[in-house]
Amino acid sequence: MARRVLVAWLVAGLTLGFAVAGLPKVKIVFSDWHLVEPHWEKALKEAIAQFMTENPDIEVELEYVSYAEKETKYMTAIEAGVGPDVMHLGPIEVSFALFASRGYFLDLTPFIKAEGPDFLSPWYPATIAAVTYNGRIYAMPGDFMSMFLMYNKRLFAEAGLDPEKPPTTWEEFLEYAKQLTRDRDGDGRIDTWGFGTVGKVDPGFQLRFTPLLYSFGADYLTPDYKCSALNTPSAKEAFKFWVELYTVHKVIPPGVTDMSPGKVREQFAAEKVAMILTSGWGPPIVKSIRPDVNWDEILGFAPVPVKAGLDPEYRTTAWLSYWAINRNTKHPDAAWKLVKFITSKAMEEKWFRDANVLSSRRDVTEVYEPILASPSARINAAELSRAKMVPLIPEWPRIIEAVNIAVQKGFLGVDPDLALSEAHALINEILAGYRVPGEACPGY
Amino acid sequence: MRRKVSQVLTYFFLFGVVVFNIIPFYWMLITSFKTDAEAYAIPPTWWPMRPTLYEGYGKVLMWTNFPRHFLNSLIVSLGSAILSTLVGAFAGYGFSRFQFLGRSFLLGVLLASQMLPGVLLVGPYFKMLVKIKLYNTYLGLILAFTTLTLPFSAWMLTGFIDTVPHELDEAAMIDGCTRIHAFLKVVFPLITPGMVATLIFAFLLAWGDLLWVLCLTSTDSMATITLGLSRLVTQFRIIWPQLMAGSVIAAIPPMVLYLILQNYLVKGLTGGAVKG
Amino acid sequence: MFRVRPVLAIKKEKGADAGKQGVSPLNSYRRFFGSTTGLWGAKQGYFFILPCFLLLLLVLGFPTIMAVLNSFAPIWTTGLKNFTLNYYRRLLQDYIFWNTVLKTIYFVGGTVTLHLILGFCVAFVLNKEIRARRFFRVMAILPWTVPDVIAGLIWAWMYDPISGIVNDFLHRVGLVRSTIEWLATPTLVMPSVIIADTWRGYPFVMLVLLAGMQAIPKELYEAARVDGATWWQELCYITLPNLKRMIFIASILDIIWQTRRFGLIWVMTEGGPARATEVISVLAYKTYFKFFDFEYASAMSVAMAVFLFVIGLPYIRMMARRV
Repeated sequence: MARRVLVAWLVAGLTLGFAVAGLPKVKIVFSDWHLVEPHWEKALKEAIAQFMTENPDIEVELEYVSYAEKETKYMTAIEAGVGPDVMHLGPIEVSFALFASRGYFLDLTPFIKAEGPDFLSPWYPATIAAVTYNGRIYAMPGDFMSMFLMYNKRLFAEAGLDPEKPPTTWEEFLEYAKQLTRDRDGDGRIDTWGFGTVGKVDPGFQLRFTPLLYSFGADYLTPDYKCSALNTPSAKEAFKFWVELYTVHKVIPPGVTDMSPGKVREQFAAEKVAMILTSGWGPPIVKSIRPDVNWDEILGFAPVPVKAGLDPEYRTTAWLSYWAINRNTKHPDAAWKLVKFITSKAMEEKWFRDANVLSSRRDVTEVYEPILASPSARINAAELSRAKMVPLIPEWPRIIEAVNIAVQKGFLGVDPDLALSEAHALINEILAGYRVPGEACPGY
Repeated sequence: MRRKVSQVLTYFFLFGVVVFNIIPFYWMLITSFKTDAEAYAIPPTWWPMRPTLYEGYGKVLMWTNFPRHFLNSLIVSLGSAILSTLVGAFAGYGFSRFQFLGRSFLLGVLLASQMLPGVLLVGPYFKMLVKIKLYNTYLGLILAFTTLTLPFSAWMLTGFIDTVPHELDEAAMIDGCTRIHAFLKVVFPLITPGMVATLIFAFLLAWGDLLWVLCLTSTDSMATITLGLSRLVTQFRIIWPQLMAGSVIAAIPPMVLYLILQNYLVKGLTGGAVKG
Repeated sequence: MFRVRPVLAIKKEKGADAGKQGVSPLNSYRRFFGSTTGLWGAKQGYFFILPCFLLLLLVLGFPTIMAVLNSFAPIWTTGLKNFTLNYYRRLLQDYIFWNTVLKTIYFVGGTVTLHLILGFCVAFVLNKEIRARRFFRVMAILPWTVPDVIAGLIWAWMYDPISGIVNDFLHRVGLVRSTIEWLATPTLVMPSVIIADTWRGYPFVMLVLLAGMQAIPKELYEAARVDGATWWQELCYITLPNLKRMIFIASILDIIWQTRRFGLIWVMTEGGPARATEVISVLAYKTYFKFFDFEYASAMSVAMAVFLFVIGLPYIRMMARRV
């Protein structure tokens, strides 16, 4: 009798306790640079609210950070033993290898294994390979978008070109660009050019130069990542072609060495250039810079041109972001739940609707109807199968800086072969750690 | 006649200086009243075509935490400025008035402590703060900024106190003051121009800093106004009207501080304090 | 006739007073309470400087030691086991590093010189009795109230070839016909950055010099005017000699601060184009935060600190010579 009363009191007490205090809440911090952009902020907050409703025992706190400073902030925080639990990072080549090689990210392989054998099948294999380091998976892929050519149909028509027939080879591209570089307002000076591209030292440089390199059949490094491959004839040809667009043919507006991706888009929006290389973010930005223009009728999209006669397996590259969990996290299970939620099919479809980004899930990008209905998204998605990521090694930021500066020097008048040979030598030096002493790389 | 010419030249020169100083400010001001689209106009417009308060000031003030950022900036900047100036004045007095073993060496240490760039110190300082649980707090930030500006304060105020003859201290002490009293009552008021310069310098350093605040705070409720404004440089473009509006608002406290303090910039060394 | 000789506000002590053993009350007081030398002087000295160095030691001590050690070994991962001079060896052979040394000298030399010249001229003028002095003083400090990253963004925009007001203005007044790429041309980019930084930085030097000028007693100028001195003579024989100390202080501090200057340059050019504005602070930031090469960045920064210390040595000696 006494024991039953005791049990009854216990049950009553516990129920009262839970009712008052609620379920024990686990708090995790979620950080994403997108939170500073209004449309993304709204979408993310909606998603997080939904997540918290589905998981009442988890509370998610939002942390803001700017795009340019996020790696700095995360790195110093993780080194100091703190930092947000879930982080969104990108582009992948700038940070992933560096962070993973230093053990900053939590190993997700056990979580993935626990989800079952087919958990990873919806994703593009290239993206899963990209988030793998030393055989373990350290992040989940996020937004995946390929680079393609965007051109101004109106300028094409004005220059006498067929707006529905964009260039398919680089030779055609040059011819078109020459025709598009002309004096548009009749004051005797050229005020519109054929092509606009990034010359500044910027992560966006890589996204525009890499398609060129690949579509000429060249590559940055040898397959074993021990040497630079910029001494191959196709690499030399691609580099020379790119530099001469500015120095010899003058189809790129002056001042290219200071052009950031944002400025190139501004040029395009002001109709100062007729063609640019961009991805899914291009059309919405151009529309927001000049909302008074009817862009839907003017914008044309095409795959990146290739060298005449070649049909390389890969002709473009892609922008890939990823979601990672901090190694210092105190609640790995809750963090994993959030990551799984954000990269779920329903959420990935939401990111396209709200922010116009394509997913690294094939069951979204290849299938989702709004994606198939939008012309830019369709090309974007189609090119993903022809996209190859750059070498995702910790030395990559150094390597691409060397190439970027070589291109700058070329633009500024240095002989292209000389500039490229400098980059080649510097990259070989950077990769010295991968070779055994005595193993030398071929010269230029 | 000579006086008139030199006066005209003086005003001309001042006018040129004002123009040079003001042009970027002017650009900042008019952009804060432009719409987003007009900010990108080619060629640029020197006066907003359709001035609007909403795009710049409206949107920036509607940020969830803008007043909090402002307050944080004020607390951290004022705190470190005052601390740095006071401690620096004390140290300046010590260096200026006394002869002791290691004086030159310590002066050298003071100068040398400013020579390592912040890039290098942020990481270890961060680790230290986490260990003593001052991460993401006002005190942690104030200490960081104080030590960045302290060497300058001490160095500068040493030089300043050197210009105050120590006969004055001694006269005060003969009258019965202790050394500290002599310092506070006699020397302190005479070095106000130097202290004003130090205060403003330390305030502005903390006010405009980005790297340290970025790393040493985590929650948005501890962010400063400069950090908040840096987020307007988004992945794809700079949101100019809001950034300019926010910068204009952020320039107000330093201006106000300067206006208040600039009276003290005029030192009154009257009363025959010095016999040349 | 005005005396053509520097007129100093402070009598230079010959040090004779310190040890005088007279019977005057001042000296006996000195012996007991006012001594600034010897053990009592030292104790008082240490007392006053204690808070400053305590704070510095507590807050900067650990980070500085760790940063210096980090240039010899990856202390955060493997401790002092792999102590090596390799990073410094690499530094010596690195042509990129030596390029930054040249660019740093260019940048620091240019900005400090302009800061001093402009700051001095403006302070000199503001020191006089002119109308609307308060207005001009507020105008003079305006650039300093803008954080240097935002100043960099604004100036970068102003320098933009097609949407920037610098080129627009030059076009409108007809001074130039074609667009000038201020930040894209290697020869123009450093002067452009120097001008932007002068705008942002000279109010600081101006304020320091103005504070120093305010400390010069008015009686000296009045006496000189009575003797018939011109403003040029006032400048050379009263202002400058009394300001010498402040000028030295301002210049060494400015040299140190300009060598550390990072935000403005990074935001304007990130060191480009083709390393034309890559100063040592930019390279150190890149090496640390973009390449995650902590040890090499530490070695670079320590080398820079040593350079600065060597330059600063004469100033320390000059500072210490007082008293």
